Amino acid sequence: MSSILKLFAFPFAVIIVCLGIMTIFGGHITPGGGFQGGAMIAGGVILCIIVYGLEESPINFSHDFISAIENIGALGYIGLGLVGLITSGFFLYNVGTDFYGLIPQYIVNIFHYQDPTNAGIVPYFNILVGLKVLVGLSAVVIAFSQFDKTKDHIKNDDENVHKNMNNQDNDNDSLEIGD
Amino acid sequence: MLYLGPVIFGFILGLVVGIRVKNNPNSNIKFTTGFYIIIFIVALIVAWYSGPYPFFDDVPISTAFISGTIGLIAGSLIRKISGTQ
Repeated sequence: MSSILKLFAFPFAVIIVCLGIMTIFGGHITPGGGFQGGAMIAGGVILCIIVYGLEESPINFSHDFISAIENIGALGYIGLGLVGLITSGFFLYNVGTDFYGLIPQYIVNIFHYQDPTNAGIVPYFNILVGLKVLVGLSAVVIAFSQFDKTKDHIKNDDENVHKNMNNQDNDNDSLEIGD
Repeated sequence: MLYLGPVIFGFILGLVVGIRVKNNPNSNIKFTTGFYIIIFIVALIVAWYSGPYPFFDDVPISTAFISGTIGLIAGSLIRKISGTQ
């Protein structure tokens, strides 16, 4: 890529990431939310990977990091849903607001999100979905950008397999001749 | 009154991404202190013009945006200080 792109890509990616974070936190009152914000954050990461390449990218997600964040997102979502199921009998019940008066007040206070709209646990769901989407979409691009390496690796493996098969055939032939 | 929800969780989300920002020694790209200062000033301008979401009348800027920026810068500085790059 050109030097101009390399000069502008990372600062621009930082702004895109922050816009994605902002979008996640407006999900319960405006258009946006976890998926859209997570996709915007992944867009910033993908921009860096495309411009700088995977080896030199300033924002670099390792396999362990992607795995950990995916797990936190998925298990957190299920966990919050189970809190509603255990306390009120309804899966994904909004225990942060308790519109139907089903659960004790101290549980409502624990899960209440601090904002003026009385959103309850909806922003937490947005955050968890955002985490999951940002690493999920980034992982797809990281996997595709490593495709050449994978292809070479598979090609080498195939060549080795063919060589071994040829050797085995030769051995079998020699056995047959010997027999 | 400052609403703490977007401030705290915006910082955490920024930290999660910022902790993966690294200086590659083989690369020509270097993140100096001036880079972070300029990013913060630009983020302040963007947050000011974005404005707060509806019902958020505590401060005239987007608190989620600016706390996300601070988290991202803090995460990258933590990684830089910890010497894992």
